[in-house]
Amino acid sequence: MAAGAAAGGSVGRAATADGRVMLPFENGERELVAYPQKRPLIRLTARPPQLETPFSVFNEGVLTPNDAFFVRYHLSDIPTRIDPATFRLRVRGAVTTSLELSLEELKKLADPMEVVAVNQCSGNSRGHSTPRVPGGQSSHGAMGNARWTGIPLRTVLEKAGLGKDARQVTFDGLDRAPLPGTPDYIKALEIDHALDGEVMLAWAMNGEDLPMLNGYPLRLVVPGYYGTFWIKHVHDIEVLDTVYTGFWMATAYRVPDNPAKAVEPGTAPKKTVPISRYTIRSFITSVISGSTLPVGRERVVRGIAFDSGQGIREVAFSSDGGQTWRVAQLGTDLGRYSFREWRIGFTPAKAGTHVLMARALNRIGETQPLEPLWNPAGYLRNVVERVPVEVI
Amino acid sequence: MMLRTISAAVLLGWLVLVPSRAASDKPVEITLPVETARLAESPLPGYALAIGLCSTCHSAEYVQYQPNSNRAYWRAATVKMQKVFGAPIPDAAIEPIADYLVKTYGMERTAVGSGSTAR
Repeated sequence: MAAGAAAGGSVGRAATADGRVMLPFENGERELVAYPQKRPLIRLTARPPQLETPFSVFNEGVLTPNDAFFVRYHLSDIPTRIDPATFRLRVRGAVTTSLELSLEELKKLADPMEVVAVNQCSGNSRGHSTPRVPGGQSSHGAMGNARWTGIPLRTVLEKAGLGKDARQVTFDGLDRAPLPGTPDYIKALEIDHALDGEVMLAWAMNGEDLPMLNGYPLRLVVPGYYGTFWIKHVHDIEVLDTVYTGFWMATAYRVPDNPAKAVEPGTAPKKTVPISRYTIRSFITSVISGSTLPVGRERVVRGIAFDSGQGIREVAFSSDGGQTWRVAQLGTDLGRYSFREWRIGFTPAKAGTHVLMARALNRIGETQPLEPLWNPAGYLRNVVERVPVEVI
Repeated sequence: MMLRTISAAVLLGWLVLVPSRAASDKPVEITLPVETARLAESPLPGYALAIGLCSTCHSAEYVQYQPNSNRAYWRAATVKMQKVFGAPIPDAAIEPIADYLVKTYGMERTAVGSGSTAR
């Protein structure tokens, strides 16, 4: 890890631009900037910070290093100094006893649990939508896979004691808007989901304290669900006996309410529901689009696949634009919420353009579409991606 | 060093029992890098309004990196900032701001004075 990544004390280093990158869509030029506790990442916005992981990182290993993990805030008054000794997590609302827990008290409530889980932004890959849609124009780097350490949310809710009428639980972080009229970034989970034992309050990722920009000192981890629910710097939990109607649930982060969660490109859905679980995806990570490969020489093509937690059953690979497919070998299983590595040998037989593709299948038979589905917010992208290469 | 510790832990199969590193009780403080993006200069009246009203909450890339969009989009985006996000944009400023945005970053931009990376 970078020397600057140690937690405790001042870890800040105000870096200047280290270069620029071009994302593969129109108006895709971005700065590469090193933020505190981070290596140079693709800067989508400076205020609030939104940083994308360069795609090459996903070929370095199945766990995404903390210093390369993407960053996404909504409101620009973000915490830049947090004292873990005075930090408190409040639990209130429809509970028997309101709580105000220090980190130390929280960590003593239960034995720590760990899960390896993907955190993917709802808008990951939005810049690839056709037709284009407004919003953060990300390529495929608004995702990451980490080993999270914390305790089950259920433990905290049970300690507070839930009323019989509890319906939802809301989560608020320390980030705020500069203006009082802006809706605070608050998200809600259904009570059964909040109590499932998998949703957790995490203080560490990949064995270290959370980086500040990934939610230090505590964040919500919602395995299989889009990052919009993974509240950073979570400090206020409220149990409701109603359904939360705030902007970020009732208006934003909505998808079409139909089985495909898609509409005809360029049209608006009649009815929407909150975004929830990941769609199944896979990527080739060892070969980048536009590469040149020598004819007749065998190579190993590698990649990753993930879904919402059903578990990846199979990844198929095509080197001819999807006409024929071969089954790849799956790597170590780090759990059903993790990236799953895959690899396959590939010997380009003849010169010319080849389109490489990967397609994942999960344990309940879900797979990736060959043609993209579309919705107005550019969420849920999971089309089989195409990686054209030149064989010479 | 840290990586080696983790590898050893994985090999021994007791990673779960290893406490998080650096569970320090000292305050953590960061300094954010400087903001570099600027709204593109323009003689249009909406330019100064945008500097004053949009920049309170967000940096210029929010505008600069949007896909090429028409006037209706930029007007709706400006109204959304006013009505939904509580930006103190006077009604009389909506049209000039939308005009500046669509002519600088959107479908009505001209070669001169257009946003430098908005192509």
